[in-house]
Amino acid sequence: MSAISCQGLTKHYGSTIALDNLSLNIEERVIFGFLGPNGAGKTTTLKILTGLSRPTGGKAWVAGEEVAHNSIALRSKVGCLPEDPAFYNWMTGKEYLTFVGEVFRLPSKEIGARCQKLLELVDLTGAASRRIGGYSRGMRQRLGIAQALMNKPAVLFLDEPSSALDPMGRAEVLNTLLRLKEQATTIFLSSHILADVERVCDVVGIIDKGKLVVESGVDELRQRFARSLFEVEFEEMASPFVAMLERLPWVQKVDVAEGSNSSRFIVRARDVAAAKRELPRLIAESGLTLRQYQSVLPTLEDVFIELVGKKGD
Amino acid sequence: MAGFAVLLRKELKQQLRTYRLLIVAAVFLFFGLGTPLLLHYLPRLVPADDMFNMTIPEFTAVDAVQEYLSNFGQVGLLAAILVTMGMVARERESGTAAMILSKPVGRGAFVTAKLAALTLVFTVGIALGGLGCYAYTLIIFGNPGGSNFLVANVVAGLYLLVCLAVTLMFSSFFRSQLAAGGLALVLLIIVALTAGLPVMKDYSPGALLKWANDIAAGSGTNAWGALIVSLLVIVLTLIIGWRVFRGKEL
Repeated sequence: MSAISCQGLTKHYGSTIALDNLSLNIEERVIFGFLGPNGAGKTTTLKILTGLSRPTGGKAWVAGEEVAHNSIALRSKVGCLPEDPAFYNWMTGKEYLTFVGEVFRLPSKEIGARCQKLLELVDLTGAASRRIGGYSRGMRQRLGIAQALMNKPAVLFLDEPSSALDPMGRAEVLNTLLRLKEQATTIFLSSHILADVERVCDVVGIIDKGKLVVESGVDELRQRFARSLFEVEFEEMASPFVAMLERLPWVQKVDVAEGSNSSRFIVRARDVAAAKRELPRLIAESGLTLRQYQSVLPTLEDVFIELVGKKGD
Repeated sequence: MAGFAVLLRKELKQQLRTYRLLIVAAVFLFFGLGTPLLLHYLPRLVPADDMFNMTIPEFTAVDAVQEYLSNFGQVGLLAAILVTMGMVARERESGTAAMILSKPVGRGAFVTAKLAALTLVFTVGIALGGLGCYAYTLIIFGNPGGSNFLVANVVAGLYLLVCLAVTLMFSSFFRSQLAAGGLALVLLIIVALTAGLPVMKDYSPGALLKWANDIAAGSGTNAWGALIVSLLVIVLTLIIGWRVFRGKEL
């Protein structure tokens, strides 16, 4: 069964098309990474799926509820962390979580227990009684994650959850997401940090200019884009060989690994068929001692750049 | 009205913790205590002018109460607008509204809880100001008339409730609290001016202040039409504010 499904979602702001016929199908217990450059339509999608914004066209379902503007039933089943979470600065962290628990009509005993657990989870126990107005950006982000988990949501929407966190905080958040997935939560993760997405997401969708460019499993996607990169390593220095490769028409670029003294490099092919045919022959004819030759899987960032056509932000 | 009770509790806490309750109470108390005192000392502070044969008369208890109630149309109105104009607009602008409204609470409850909290805050302010005014008037000028004084304050308070409801409606329309406050001020000034027009004076919410003054003076006039229109305005502005806010994207 799908946790999130949308068909032909469209959103226009006047003459600007923010979302263009977006169709997605995200299974339960999956961490879905939603990628795209700034202004691609990620936040618009998130707002529509959480009922905060109305689509111009199309339909969507989240956790078995049809997505409708202001739908209470939908909002009871989801948790949401916006990109820049805003709080009542006069409240303490614990008061805010208690307030959220009351909004979800949880029993007061459960609210107390959940607050304690979530504050521990996001490492805010020591600051629980401090006013939110005095929190740092990272602390606010962590409190935002805690409040999104208060109702044990079936589907969790996170917009850039780790952007304001230090490396330790990021690692903690990512581990938490993996634990939540084990507890049957479906996570919709919009992020610019591709390494994070690559680490925790099962499936990714890349959106550009309001259109879904690709929706695929992370490994499948990397395999699909693996064809143009070849890693070569020799026992000895291979500067003349690298120079020769760089002059060939089917070679786009040769990246020598740092500190490898020209013995290890990656060939990015312009013509993959020619590379597959010619590269083994040239290696054999070079007289150099081959240590390694393999087709390289690209990182998610490589795929993103290739699909979106510019450096990811 | 999902979540009304929780939101109302939060709003009341917010009024207390952000000192709005204290400020509103202090404003009303200042005028409640200060007006009878001012009227008592005014004839002594301003000497009689022999050239123009002018003397300031000794004031009575009714004068003190009427002067106090006249503050509702000026300082009370401004306090109502200043406290209310950001109630929804600021929450939309800062993002706190989106955080809460992505949870299972209705937008009707969101707006109504704010009006209910504001009503309570101003009721406390008016009650404290009224008590101060009553006590000082009693001490300085004599009995201001218990039941008349109470009813006059309730009627003048209802006028302020109209001001709160109108400003909250505009706050639901815009992200800018200045736009909300500015439009509310213009509309409420127009409403106050209509109280002087021949036909409108019987129905304008602005007529409530004159009625409150008449009640304080023990006059038999009434403005039931204005009272009914005021109640309708409060309900209508609440509904319009909620409907417009319901259509807004966050």
